[in-house]
Amino acid sequence: MASISARRLAKELHEIQTEGCPVGINLLQADDFAAWQFTIEVMGESLYQGEVFTLLFRFDKHYPISSPAVQFVVTDGKTSPVHPHVYSNGHICASILGNEWSPVLSVIAVCLTLQSMLASCKKKERPPDNDRYVRHAPDNPKKTQFHYDGNSP
Amino acid sequence: MSVGASWDLATIQVKALGGFFHSLVSRAGVSMGNSSSSSGRGHHDDTVDFGHLSPQGVYTGPRDWNQAVVSQLICARRLAPFYRPLEDYEESWDDDQILAARKELPDPENAEQTTRIEAASISNGSKSSIKRPSTLKEPARPEASVYRGAVECPICFLYYPPNINHSRCCDHPICTECFVQIKRSEPTTTHLVSDPAACPYCVQEHFGVVYTPPPWRTGFGSDGAISPWSSDSPKGSQPSIPSAGYPTHKRRQKSFSADSPEVVTTDQIRPDWEAKLAAVRAAVTRRANRRIIMRQVGDRIIPVGVTSGRVHALSPEEAAAAAENQDISGSRRSRRRQQASSNPGFEQYIGLGGQDLEELMVMEAMRLSLLEHEEQQRKEAEEKKKAVDASDPEAAVTTAESSGTGPSSLEVPPSDQTSSSLTLSSTSSTSLPSPSPAGTESSTSERRSFIPSRSRTPSPPTDSSWRKRTSNSPPFSTLNAALSATSTASAVPNASHDPPSMNATIIEPQTPSNPSHDIPAITIDIPMESPPEPTSFRAPSDGQHSKRPSPIHVDSLPSSVYSADSQTAPGISYDNLPSSPESITQEPLLSESKMIAYSQPRLPTEDESRDVGGSNRSV
Repeated sequence: MASISARRLAKELHEIQTEGCPVGINLLQADDFAAWQFTIEVMGESLYQGEVFTLLFRFDKHYPISSPAVQFVVTDGKTSPVHPHVYSNGHICASILGNEWSPVLSVIAVCLTLQSMLASCKKKERPPDNDRYVRHAPDNPKKTQFHYDGNSP
Repeated sequence: MSVGASWDLATIQVKALGGFFHSLVSRAGVSMGNSSSSSGRGHHDDTVDFGHLSPQGVYTGPRDWNQAVVSQLICARRLAPFYRPLEDYEESWDDDQILAARKELPDPENAEQTTRIEAASISNGSKSSIKRPSTLKEPARPEASVYRGAVECPICFLYYPPNINHSRCCDHPICTECFVQIKRSEPTTTHLVSDPAACPYCVQEHFGVVYTPPPWRTGFGSDGAISPWSSDSPKGSQPSIPSAGYPTHKRRQKSFSADSPEVVTTDQIRPDWEAKLAAVRAAVTRRANRRIIMRQVGDRIIPVGVTSGRVHALSPEEAAAAAENQDISGSRRSRRRQQASSNPGFEQYIGLGGQDLEELMVMEAMRLSLLEHEEQQRKEAEEKKKAVDASDPEAAVTTAESSGTGPSSLEVPPSDQTSSSLTLSSTSSTSLPSPSPAGTESSTSERRSFIPSRSRTPSPPTDSSWRKRTSNSPPFSTLNAALSATSTASAVPNASHDPPSMNATIIEPQTPSNPSHDIPAITIDIPMESPPEPTSFRAPSDGQHSKRPSPIHVDSLPSSVYSADSQTAPGISYDNLPSSPESITQEPLLSESKMIAYSQPRLPTEDESRDVGGSNRSV
């Protein structure tokens, strides 16, 4: 039997392939159980109308007990959304990716949460400490200890 | 009848093989902990209601829970046994299909299980009169029927018999494999708290589960004459299991509180979380104890190195001796300590080695000792504190004048009480047995001669010449020393942060002495000045924990984020170095120094004053 991570991801993938992704989210790449990519766009009225972003999920072998590393792809001409919780290097300050991660959440649940995070954005701006963070940020956003404090980033 | 008899005999065989199983289990790396050895009971059977006492290989990570506790809970039917999960399940499946879905796992845990069965059959073969092999070959039907109405665990997506654990708060199913994976947040050196595990479903704190066992019993504990079939062989009860129908879980209305007797919490299966937290704090303490060693060359004081911070590492014998000293009046404590020291998994705390283990035990001993005194001394301490507060400003001014080293005396307002307790602890430290008398003595005497230079004692004779030198030296030479120190301080990044402190031979950012030196000081009746800290420190279960301010980002983090990977952010990491004066204002170090305060009753005064100074500085 494969590891818990691979087995659960296999079931999640199976579900995605049979039932499809929610509106605005599309599976771009899931060749293995280490990294998946999705496109994500906000449907309807929002500040991000017409913008399509790419989300990168990286899983370690302890998924789903440990959270996936999730970020926006900022290479190959792709950009991260200008959002007070999203850094220009694609890292996301969202509590469910950190201390509020729950093994009950799934890849699709994360996509939906981030989609609604974008949809509810009132003002397109970078986090106030964007430059400082991006300068020193680790490659893996999970190594960053974000401070989640509600509305302000 | 004959079938039933052979099953019984096989069970007896299994009992006889208990020792062998034990060695198998331990070889497979399962830490059985103290209970299996101390209870002397052994395992009569290795299954409970057709499930197992140890994991079946769903997860492959380290088993950092207390397996002995988990086994006991399973035997007591308070936690669902580890059933071999089904990859899939359909209501229409027959027994064979169910058993086929219950795949063999190639993991080591499962190899162990197959070895067990082999061992049993081999041994049975030698006894020759038992038909165990045939029992094995024909599918054991009750083992299939327990999966009727299987429930999918929402975390691992595998199917388990319907007698599965349910979250105490929101009544969602969770298999035991997943339950044992859920634990408190790991304390880190930058986040010195251990947050209680939250329910994965409703995020309520202090996650726990409730288990309703099936109405029948097999395996371990089935001879307890509770079930109506207990007088029969387990085989005889088989028809009853399906006919009784699988237990369907009725959604309950009320939730259980974390401390109800039915509930098994994540802390219960990891009783060592407190010690683990203490270990991390001790490690940070040790780092904070590092001192910059300065050498005087002419008029200049130059940093020449950094001490290890572990001035005095206790040998195991010493730790035991120290523990005994503290144990005169506490059976509860000694039991706890025995449990801790005999737990084989004890040393795997986040890769901390034996030395840290000793420190951990010392810290725990100190904490317990101080807790014991806390209640009696709370009032007395408060009175003392008032008295000290009243006399403090005056004392600080006096010393500032006499020492002439303004900044350092501001940071360390001395008082009558601090000097007296210092005397106490240093005297007692000499009486502490030491593995390397020479080394310890020298470090102790070093400290004695250095501490006065920080104006902690008003005017001991030993440092008068040094004091004279510093106070007589004209300001520019102090500056000169600081500047030259800066230039030579490349190996010691923080040396330049606080030039005035160069007057001290050793920079002691916050913890002037090593905790291990102060163990005897605890037993001396010294008034405690900070009663609230010890409780809030250990106490997530009683709610005080949540009142603690979040230890990071208080005033040191103007922005919302910082990198936990300090290597990638040199500026940040330097600020965080414990020996940096600026870092004094940071909450993690503060809370950590409060821990030291257990052993050093004089410290809180210092911390409080620094608190004030620190927040002023950071504004």
